[in-house]
Amino acid sequence: MNIFKKHMTLYLMIAPVAIYFLLFAYYPLARGLMISFQEFRIIGDNTYIGLQNYITVLSDPVFWRVLVNTLLIGGGILLIGFSFPILVAISLNEVLKVSFKKFTQMVIYLPHLFSWVIIGGIWIYLLSPDGGLVNEIIKVFGGEPIHFFTQEKYAKPLMVFTAIWKDVGFLCILYLAAIVGISPTLYEAAKIDGATRWQEIRHILIPQLYPTMKVVFLLNLLGVLKIFDQIFIMRNPTIAREVDVLMVYTYEKGILEFDMGVATAASFFVIFATLILTLIARKLLRFDEEA
Amino acid sequence: MRKDTRFKYLIIAILVGLIMILAACNDEGTDNEGEATEGDKSLRILSNVVGGKTPEENELFVEEIERLTDIKVELVKPPADYDQKLLTAMSSGEKFDLVLLTKNLMDILVDQGVLTEISDQIAESDILSDTTVIPEKEWDLIEYEDGNYYGVFNKFEGGTMPIVRQDWMEKLNLQQPETLEDFYNVFKAFKEQDPDGNGKDDTYGLSTAGLYDIQGFLSAEGVKYKYVYNEEGERTIPIASEAAVPVLEWFAKLYEEGLLDPNFATNETSQMRELFLTDRVGMVTYWDAWVGLFNNIRLEDDPNTEFKAKGIPGAVGPEGDIILRRGDPSLWAIPVNAESPGVAKEFLEFWHSEKGNVLSTLGIEGHDYTLTDGKYELTEIGKEHSMDHGVVVPNNTNWENPIGSLPGVEEAQEIILEHATLETSTEDWPEAEKIVQNYAFKAMMGEIPAKEAVNKMHEELMDAGLIDY
Repeated sequence: MNIFKKHMTLYLMIAPVAIYFLLFAYYPLARGLMISFQEFRIIGDNTYIGLQNYITVLSDPVFWRVLVNTLLIGGGILLIGFSFPILVAISLNEVLKVSFKKFTQMVIYLPHLFSWVIIGGIWIYLLSPDGGLVNEIIKVFGGEPIHFFTQEKYAKPLMVFTAIWKDVGFLCILYLAAIVGISPTLYEAAKIDGATRWQEIRHILIPQLYPTMKVVFLLNLLGVLKIFDQIFIMRNPTIAREVDVLMVYTYEKGILEFDMGVATAASFFVIFATLILTLIARKLLRFDEEA
Repeated sequence: MRKDTRFKYLIIAILVGLIMILAACNDEGTDNEGEATEGDKSLRILSNVVGGKTPEENELFVEEIERLTDIKVELVKPPADYDQKLLTAMSSGEKFDLVLLTKNLMDILVDQGVLTEISDQIAESDILSDTTVIPEKEWDLIEYEDGNYYGVFNKFEGGTMPIVRQDWMEKLNLQQPETLEDFYNVFKAFKEQDPDGNGKDDTYGLSTAGLYDIQGFLSAEGVKYKYVYNEEGERTIPIASEAAVPVLEWFAKLYEEGLLDPNFATNETSQMRELFLTDRVGMVTYWDAWVGLFNNIRLEDDPNTEFKAKGIPGAVGPEGDIILRRGDPSLWAIPVNAESPGVAKEFLEFWHSEKGNVLSTLGIEGHDYTLTDGKYELTEIGKEHSMDHGVVVPNNTNWENPIGSLPGVEEAQEIILEHATLETSTEDWPEAEKIVQNYAFKAMMGEIPAKEAVNKMHEELMDAGLIDY
């Protein structure tokens, strides 16, 4: 207990935050875990039914369909959304005109500030077959309007595209900040050795971005199975089968059908899957090691 | 084991223990907070549509109830996601004396034993048991298999129907359509003959908000959109049958020729209404009460407007019948944990009395209307609120709206009463609807042949155990 007494002040300082997480994060989590083993009733005692809710989820074909959708949409956002901002950041770094560089940064960063309600509204309007900008352009060139938001073939690509469009500016700024932090002496040494600009990017800039890349990849990975707002806003009955993801399934079961037992069981699958994915990624990326 | 490691494990063990104790805490404990004191009549109500149009007006609405009933009222009116708020509140132990809900939700809550059985209270009440106040046929809609009742009506529930721009019909010399072919010709005229006279090709014949509500057109083949049961008690969904093919093909033709609003599949009802009110579309499918509201909105905007919305019956079926959809009953129910069930019953009697009818329609005296020498007159705010404070038409057949009804409403309601039937919606419908929508939209937008769509729809519904034949 000596160590406790020794750091008493620190423990007291951390206590409010610890209590906050205990009450508003871990208590609901533990309660949710209990509910996932119960037959949930609105009023009255819930009865324990063992693993029945988990079995219900695993034997539901809709669960497997939304899992595939989640992996495809989330995977697309993860891979393209991870690499595309690097490309944009490197390109912007090469722009010499500062005003143009700053203007571009601001323009591509703006969508990150808006909620999915706004972003969804913008794209639904832009792609509308009735007066939407994209279809008006298609019509000018003699084409037939396309109802992008009702055709299954466009559904997943649209979700991936809009997610990347929203966040590319934010991730790009993270990379640009890392690029600015690279020691100029490395470039000077390379120049003395006669390196071309491409060689500088290939052998100095990109390796120096590895720590940032690791953080960005891991943060994106944590969010892959939790996609919800975007899909909830942009889905409609015509493409629901193509874009419904795990969290939408959980929402429908828990909030719309009020089947809390099944909903919490599905949520715990998401939590365990995220945990496993993260652990694997950390091992593969050697996250805790120096780049 | 080192001392500090042991200490770390001790802290973790304490935290885990604390969480588990908290998690195991039963929230069914006795909670006396808010309990009414003897002699003091108070009521806690959860409502979505009943009340003021704004938070400020809601306060006035509560004061008006208190003035008229001597009951102290707390009216909780969530701005959105009402059903979720209701379920969450109930499951977290929150106590209400009265909750407003639909029949579908009532079925779930009755099944879970959440609602008080009130058959005796209804029978003992002079007002509620009066069949001129609530007709017997209406009570049949909410009677459970055991002959019990768990709710009392909030209002007379209308139905959905095609609503047409009658001024455009007259301008283009069109007759009221009866068959799908007639409807097609009307839509074609609306699309091609510039009914709004702005010189632009910017009008559509028909707009809907998804498949809500195409029943008036499915009527042409005598097909219902939701569940039906046969004499053996087996269930099916008729839109998933060959009989629906001609209607789906007809929709595909409308879509292909640009007569149907191209956004119909993704429209919210508000977008559909907007198109109708802004002269972009000649027909929508919506509630009977909205015939009057559409006319009133345009009249309020411009007293000289030519705009005239009219509710019409759907397409005539093979047997000469028309099938329209009656809305799910909107009901008041008393939860089993209500603290003042007796006061709740008193409120329900008030709600179906003349004073309650005036409050629920016209609104608040001095705010929505004035009463001078027995003469009712709507204020400017009252006109904006279109005589709807949760009820457009009360159940009470003895009551007549002193202002009169909005233009076109009475005719529309007559059509609904003659042709509309209540939908049979089961617990499985949300699951089934996803399958129905998936294939119906594909057929209506011409992505797959209608016949293939209904076959796949039927097969998938059967495989999922959602229909019996």
